[in-house]
Amino acid sequence: MTITSNTGAEVAKAETIAVTVDGVGIEVPKGTLAIRAAELLGIEIPRFCDHPLLDPVAACRACLIEVEGMPKPQPACAQVLSDGMQIRTQQSSPVAREAQEGVMEFLLLNHPLDCPVCDKGGECPLQNQAMQVGRPTSRFEEDKRTFPKPISVSAQILLDRERCVSCARCTRFAEQIAGDPMLELLERGAKQQVGTATDEPFDSYFSGNTVQICPVGALTSAAYRFRSRPFDLVSVPTTCEHCASGCSLRTDSRRGTITRRLAWEDPAVNEDWNCDKGRFAFTYMAQGRITTPMVREDGALRPASWPEAIAIAARGLAQAGSGAGVLAGGRLTMEDAYGYARFARAVLGTDDIDFRARQSSDEEAQFLAARIAGTPATVTYEALERAPIVLLVSLEPEDESPIIFLRLRKASRRRPATVVAISPVRTRGMDKMAATWLPAAPGAEAGVLDEIMSGGSLAETSMAELRDRLQAPGAVILVGERAADVPGLLSAVARLADATGAGLAWVPRRAGERGALDAGALAGLLPGGRPLTDADARDAVARAWGIDAGSLPTAAGRHGTPLLQAASRGEVAALLVGGIEFADFPDPSLARAAVTATAFVVSLEQRHTEVTELADVVLPVAVVAEKAGTFLTWEGRPRPFGQVLREDLAMSDAGVLSMIAAELGQPSPGDVPALRRELGSLGPWSGARATTPGVPAQAITARAGITLASWRLLLDSGAMQEGEPHLAATARPTVARLSEATASHAGLAPAALVTVSGPRGSVTLPWEPAEMVDDVVWLPLRSPGCGVFADLGQVVGGEVAITPGGAA
Amino acid sequence: MAISEATRGELAELAARYPRPRSAVLPMLHLVQSVEGEVTTDGIHACAEILGITPAEVTAVSTFYTMYKRKPVGTHHIGVCINTMCGLLGGDAVYAALQERLGAGHDQPTADGMFWLERIECQAACTHAPVMTVDWEFMDDVTPASAIDVIDRLERGEVVQSTRGPAIRSFAATERSLAFPDDGLADEGSSVDDKMLAGLRVARERGQAAPAIPSGQEG
Amino acid sequence: MADLPQPVRGFGVTFRTMFKRVVTEQYPEDKDKYPPKPRFHGRHQLNRWPDGLEKCVGCELCAWACPADAIFVEGADNTDEARFSPGERYGRVYQINYLRCIFCGLCIEACPTRALTMTNEFELADASRADLIYEKQDLLAPVLPGMLAPPHPMAPGTTERDYYANRIKGAVPDQAAGSPAGQEGS
Repeated sequence: MTITSNTGAEVAKAETIAVTVDGVGIEVPKGTLAIRAAELLGIEIPRFCDHPLLDPVAACRACLIEVEGMPKPQPACAQVLSDGMQIRTQQSSPVAREAQEGVMEFLLLNHPLDCPVCDKGGECPLQNQAMQVGRPTSRFEEDKRTFPKPISVSAQILLDRERCVSCARCTRFAEQIAGDPMLELLERGAKQQVGTATDEPFDSYFSGNTVQICPVGALTSAAYRFRSRPFDLVSVPTTCEHCASGCSLRTDSRRGTITRRLAWEDPAVNEDWNCDKGRFAFTYMAQGRITTPMVREDGALRPASWPEAIAIAARGLAQAGSGAGVLAGGRLTMEDAYGYARFARAVLGTDDIDFRARQSSDEEAQFLAARIAGTPATVTYEALERAPIVLLVSLEPEDESPIIFLRLRKASRRRPATVVAISPVRTRGMDKMAATWLPAAPGAEAGVLDEIMSGGSLAETSMAELRDRLQAPGAVILVGERAADVPGLLSAVARLADATGAGLAWVPRRAGERGALDAGALAGLLPGGRPLTDADARDAVARAWGIDAGSLPTAAGRHGTPLLQAASRGEVAALLVGGIEFADFPDPSLARAAVTATAFVVSLEQRHTEVTELADVVLPVAVVAEKAGTFLTWEGRPRPFGQVLREDLAMSDAGVLSMIAAELGQPSPGDVPALRRELGSLGPWSGARATTPGVPAQAITARAGITLASWRLLLDSGAMQEGEPHLAATARPTVARLSEATASHAGLAPAALVTVSGPRGSVTLPWEPAEMVDDVVWLPLRSPGCGVFADLGQVVGGEVAITPGGAA
Repeated sequence: MAISEATRGELAELAARYPRPRSAVLPMLHLVQSVEGEVTTDGIHACAEILGITPAEVTAVSTFYTMYKRKPVGTHHIGVCINTMCGLLGGDAVYAALQERLGAGHDQPTADGMFWLERIECQAACTHAPVMTVDWEFMDDVTPASAIDVIDRLERGEVVQSTRGPAIRSFAATERSLAFPDDGLADEGSSVDDKMLAGLRVARERGQAAPAIPSGQEG
Repeated sequence: MADLPQPVRGFGVTFRTMFKRVVTEQYPEDKDKYPPKPRFHGRHQLNRWPDGLEKCVGCELCAWACPADAIFVEGADNTDEARFSPGERYGRVYQINYLRCIFCGLCIEACPTRALTMTNEFELADASRADLIYEKQDLLAPVLPGMLAPPHPMAPGTTERDYYANRIKGAVPDQAAGSPAGQEGS
């Protein structure tokens, strides 16, 4: 159970009233609920339905208190205090105590005595409060109501209806927080029960939160059911590794195995929530792990000892020296990314390094160097909540940064029409955020932004009005990593932000990207956003690293596609690869060719992948639970976390790199505290930054074919969701989306299949009509049965063909 | 059974009557019952789609109210009030007789699917207790014999006149009237009769009135 | 006697004892002559229902109660294919470490299904540490006549409530038919 007071900032400016709780006077902000005022005095009133982040409903009646002047006990969770009000809780009022005891007896009438087999047993508010305020005996002698148990409200969430006390926390969460009212209280009276509609399971991205806030064991998850008891578990506060939202989590493990993950309360970031991917997708850590170093001998990989593998890796990389390239991947902790950044510059002497295992561009690198790298967190979650307007560019928060979605939904519940989204598709997520949709075909987004700047008009939306709103204090522009797909878009975003004064934040999808950027794992950028080409910056870094500044590369290296192209031509002498997948690159065959054509490849990997199969030296590294580290949220907020599986001896990427460096006689820190210290000693960069890119918006030329729009769904074929079938079963179905006009033009029958063809191949999948730009097809980027890059060989914004694909 | 386009049109028409479309969910569910004979999954999905809410929200409403049925009701819905007044004045006996005659229990259809029997709660017609309803039209002052006679006549297809309303049509027709109340039948039969006004008349004759509300307790 | 020298007086004790009843019990030769008291806390036993299904539901309350942290339990789901206990959950792993156990019996008091009781068996010496961690198969009560070794379905037409209410008197042939795999438990 969570006990929080109202958020601090709101308290500060609100006017206060004087009330008396159990004879003790206290000043509270106007509008405070009786239960919160009691909490402030340390008086705990029992409660089930009350949750600080959900609207009061007074459904469970457990919190009855006596209010002076009111004839009957009142629910403290819904009693708004007024000036001079005197309330008495169970501490001082026999009436309140008896009322609470009566309610508890009533709630327990039909509650089964199956605590020994209930997952909630041991951490159950009903157990605890029954002991605190319940009577030792019950007068109920009849048979308890029973239901067949359990039923699935989704593939992941199970419901034991007889345990339910009808507090409506789950249904209110679904409706108010997630915006997915697919869970409702059905029937009435003694038969009242939580349930879903026939044929429509509770497939919300946030469904797991209902399990956590259920104050009894009515909702449980298939993944954790009967796995453990709370007193077995060792809990460690951690940070989610799945996206740049940076949720605080509590990771519970038992005897070296992670049993579950919960959202850990953090008002500044994820409040009390997290998404199902963060909650349930952790089984990948135990799947297909590399257990021992491997080296290539006579064309085949064979297990090797650590000293041997390190020696071979060191020799090969030293030979390549500044001719080597580094592909670090976007899932690293900041410390590990820093390890790569430092190793590339200080040990190899190369600046050919990139963390972006996705579609990227030079413009993006320049934008990040100019505006994002090493900047402090100014646009924060709280800023989003207070912003008069939030403009979303190339970002679908529900899929790509779920906690941003929750925050924007929270803001929009108070002030609708705060969010404006530029996108080719009007999505359900936008409706849940009460967002205004600005349609833009893929590639045309920059033009729309320029239109806002010039105050033109598009569809029915007045661009001038939008521009005025963006000039208001606190306005925010959020741009997603997908903006790199569109030439000129990031330049236009920066231009618009400069012109309006709106706050600007860049939202990458992967958890490690922002940290990698600030750690300098991108060509041309040293840690802290220092430009590599700046001599002062190089000096500062060389001092911190204890090396001669002259040994650092002086010219910015290659990154992104040019680096892969060079490697595929055999122009890169060696590649150091950490945590990438070919299928994530816009041209998977180019990435594969780059690794294949390079003479010497060292792969630091957690699990067996396509990359490790091609590598010359494979060095196993720790998964996130086996190491400490830091992720930076999209805001730039550091989220340090500790090691969950403490007995585990797997080494982090930075630790392994440190061993290779030591082999080459160039000692460098390898453990997390030392890396943090060194990175911290560098501090932020106050010198000149790279210039903001000025790529003009691309003119859209009319094309005969269909333009491809795409992004990754939250739950898809990602490697870090493997081994959790219940979660996968709640993913959204793989469907193409088209406007009705486009579909009828292409001759698609309703409820039939569509074939989308690109240069490399085609996918055939069901389609559904959507409100979206004509002559555009939207596909999930990497979902089961539809891999845009690998299957179609087309990039987002590219041209594809659609043809009827037969009956569904 | 899929919901026809015509019905969808009518559902949309109902939704358009309210400032907030979701207010229309009750009449819409009655309309679904009139065409489907019950609240079907298809009907729930159609309502949800038209109202822009989730099927779960519609299901929550449809399972809360007892007038929405989840099994085919059949041609006629038979209700017998078993609350205190009707029960004491013979409602229980009427219900027992009908139960035997129809071979159906509470909230159940007959074997041939023609009738649906239900014990119902107070219909605010205690002056004419015991009351029975046929397709929610009143049959006042029934006895076991007269109730069975009503069933017999309905079975034979004869016209049965409500004692206080229009001639009995069918469950489907009544459900349609509940969706679209302006069916022109409102003035059929007399809604007020001498028996209902008897108490008022006596009170007036004797100059009786309700005691005044003590001061300080209004509202 | 009092004026005899001390060493000689000592022998007096020896001499007198020769005529007293012998209290020494010959162990292990005569151990059957001296059974432990009925309530002696000996080795644990995991009991079965009369049809052979296990009583343990894997709730770990015994492990929670154990002051010596000697018990390790892991629960798991019964499935229609493999049912070990009535109801949803059974104890998949059950270990008691007799190097730690202090035989206090708190686990017995904690057990909600009377699955765990203590026998009078006290001969628990062994030569290795590993052998003194008793696994589930070492602790389970024997399959008596009339019982059927799990996995097998519950008695036809019954639920776990019938088991808890002691309405099951023994295995019936239908359960045997569903014993090895398949055949739905009700």
